[in-house]
Amino acid sequence: MASKKKWLSLFVSLSVVSALFVGCGDSKTAETPKDEPKKEEAAGTDKPAENPGEPKQGGTLTVGTFSDVVNLNPIYVQDTASADADYFIYAHLFDFDKEGNVVAEPWSLAAEPMKISEDGLTYEIKLKDNLKWSDGQPITADDVKFTIETILNPESGAPGIAQYDKISKIEVVDPQNLKITLKQVYAPFQYSLHMQVAPQHVLKDVKVTEMQKNPYGTDPAKTVTSGPWKWTEWKQKEYLKFDANPDYWGPKPNIQTVVYKIYADQNTEVQALIKGDVDVVGGIPVTQLDAVKKVDKITVASEPGPQYEYVGLNRKPENFKDNFVPWDGQKTRQAMAYALNRQGMVDNVLKGIGKLMNAPFMPNSWADPGDAAVNYDYNPEKAKQLLAEDGWKPGSDGILVKDGHRFSFELQYNSGNSRREQVSLVMQQNFKEVGIEMIPKAIDFAAWNEQNLVPGKFNAILLGWSLDSPDPNGESTFSSKFFAPKGQNNVFYKNEKLDQLWEEGTKVVDQEKRKEIYKEVAKEISTDLPYIFMYSYGTPQAHSKKIKFKPEDAPITNLARGEFFHVNNWWIDDAK
Amino acid sequence: MTEYLIRRILQSILVIFLISLVTFGLIHAAPGGPTQMMISPGMSPEAAEIQKHNLGLDKPVPEQYWNWIKGLLSGDLGKTFKNNTPVGDILWPTIKNTFVLMSFAWVISMLIAIPWGIYNSTKPYGLSDQTSNFISYVGFAMPAFWFGIILQQVFAIQLNWLPLSDMYAMDKQGNFSDLLYHLVLPCTVLILANLAAYSKYSRSSMLEVLEQDYIRTARAKGVPERKVIFRHALRNALIPIITVLGMELPTLVVGAALTESVFNWPGMGRLYVDMARAREYSVLMAIVLVTAVMVVLGNLIADILYKIVDPRVQLGRKGGKSA
Repeated sequence: MASKKKWLSLFVSLSVVSALFVGCGDSKTAETPKDEPKKEEAAGTDKPAENPGEPKQGGTLTVGTFSDVVNLNPIYVQDTASADADYFIYAHLFDFDKEGNVVAEPWSLAAEPMKISEDGLTYEIKLKDNLKWSDGQPITADDVKFTIETILNPESGAPGIAQYDKISKIEVVDPQNLKITLKQVYAPFQYSLHMQVAPQHVLKDVKVTEMQKNPYGTDPAKTVTSGPWKWTEWKQKEYLKFDANPDYWGPKPNIQTVVYKIYADQNTEVQALIKGDVDVVGGIPVTQLDAVKKVDKITVASEPGPQYEYVGLNRKPENFKDNFVPWDGQKTRQAMAYALNRQGMVDNVLKGIGKLMNAPFMPNSWADPGDAAVNYDYNPEKAKQLLAEDGWKPGSDGILVKDGHRFSFELQYNSGNSRREQVSLVMQQNFKEVGIEMIPKAIDFAAWNEQNLVPGKFNAILLGWSLDSPDPNGESTFSSKFFAPKGQNNVFYKNEKLDQLWEEGTKVVDQEKRKEIYKEVAKEISTDLPYIFMYSYGTPQAHSKKIKFKPEDAPITNLARGEFFHVNNWWIDDAK
Repeated sequence: MTEYLIRRILQSILVIFLISLVTFGLIHAAPGGPTQMMISPGMSPEAAEIQKHNLGLDKPVPEQYWNWIKGLLSGDLGKTFKNNTPVGDILWPTIKNTFVLMSFAWVISMLIAIPWGIYNSTKPYGLSDQTSNFISYVGFAMPAFWFGIILQQVFAIQLNWLPLSDMYAMDKQGNFSDLLYHLVLPCTVLILANLAAYSKYSRSSMLEVLEQDYIRTARAKGVPERKVIFRHALRNALIPIITVLGMELPTLVVGAALTESVFNWPGMGRLYVDMARAREYSVLMAIVLVTAVMVVLGNLIADILYKIVDPRVQLGRKGGKSA
């Protein structure tokens, strides 16, 4: 998926962070094997009861958030709050399992796994035959076709267009069967089918340019949905209310009402969690973690989420004085990686939460390359040696010099993000020890994005990516086909071997074969280092203990919206 | 009086116009516009252009400003970029909510602070005066959000006597007693801050008057102290107090963003912060406009009150000063 890494979701997390004084993460890096549920979590973390008891009907689940929704029409959802809210009221065509595989669950619209043709071009999708919108109309293959075609129509202004632009045609075979043909083999496409569907019968007569302005998606009474709950109320800036849909076609949820409560900021939200006004909070600022952990009635999940931080090293000569790129040599880049005490940063700045990352793949997903990627331990001696091998010599002021150029650069990051502020100070110190001068520079995110990030104008940046989709394809970030400002390769990194590997990765549909390709990518990218990969991080999730679930339905941290994983199977202990 | 009023109103319109012009210009000059927030990376340049066009953001800034003004004149505050909601629909409820909060706090603070300040002026440096001094220092020195958090910790979380935040409980929307219950903590925060200012002003204003010759004369003539205070001094002492209260009027509507945030009060201060973050210019502009109108109106009302309290006050002179 070309848009799997979204600036927007990144910005949302940034704005949270900058609104407060936040780091992220939780108590300990859990080393839990990926196929085990949460029960083996790190010490200090409460675990769900071994025997949660039997499901009860009724009760209210209150989810805390700090921004209001924008539009709940699945065609237009792009902000985190709306996507979170949509999770409750729309069924997905396909769902994800814990490892990020695309599967057909009893609550998915699809009746069975998708059938991908031998040549990898055709996807056959079969829908369940009892699907119903909340107004009683059947959900059919026409709705799926309509949704995708609307997103694909540039006139609609739908944000997800890039997820479907490899489609050449969509055929409705019958109300339950659908065939999608791609222009080229594109393995990440299956992740695009983790989609929510909009009702054709409601929207078919709306002019496509007017669709976004249509009350569908903003007026609860006019928003016909497909999920276990339906949208009954929206009090702007205060709350949204979802009530169990009595005519829901799928397995009936236990929880009667879900309230999506909007708080002014994360601090207020966390206070409400501590008081017991809120049952689920997806992100606890690290500064408040201790306070939350002291509360008996709350469980905190401590694995880092699907975000990672990196130092992007720009390779475009125009961005440097005299067009001299100090890290043109691979050894120099490796030396820089050795020079950084990343584990120290995780321990001290991230308070031990976070996990070193050496390649841009979602931890604990099937594509996680594990040891295949090169890990750079903190080793200043090795760094100095590599720098010397690459021709750097100490100058009169102790800073390294090569061909008359001092090794000095500016590191940009967004102001107000205390984690990055602190990390940049550690980096400055670490680099100085090996003779590199780094000048940290904090800039307001919006200005930074527009003036530096999108056009790719900087020496180096400290930034994070959010891996919204479990699909490992990172072509749009690292391939030389996607140089900024058109693409997201804003460090102007070119490596022909990787360009080719990324492409191959999307052209093989077999997951085992893909896994091998991405292992190869991980090896190459961690050796050549367009970025210095830092660590995965995230904001710890908190759940009230009155929420019960079986182990297989426990929330997870590595998927987007993992804090609501299988929420339809949860129940409330004190439900009346 | 009529001529003066007309002059002042015309003047106010000009001020508001200038404020709107400057703010519009500044907001549009700032980097990171609303399109930035609208357009996700995967979106095709084509779709992005259409999006911009739909929002009218592809037009030159002067034209956008003109369209905005035209809308305003017909009572249309514009629409939000993100979900196309009329700005008025978002703004008015928050103004109403802020007004509820602030007017409660304002009235209670006044009822406590003014009599207290006056009492203290009659016994300067007495116990009551010292207490008031102490509270004033605390009120000035302690940031509202900090005091708010402390109150929340004690009364909402530890003791569980009062609600932590919000205006109503979820299932009690519009219930007056529930509203009062929710008002206690945020009002306390605001009252503490107001007490400090109001009691200081009324005390010093009263003290000043009490030192005037005519008071000394009255006392020398044997007029009872009660009568000196209430008949002779109070009326004059109230004038500067009214100025302060008049200046405070706009905050009734504009609100205290921090207090609203801490208590999750769905008011305009909070809205402003949210919208600034989301770069929703149309809402920001509307808030700036409402604020400007309130400030101008507050001044006007203060001037009129002057006249009522003390008919000798020349309005023209005052008008020039407060505009």
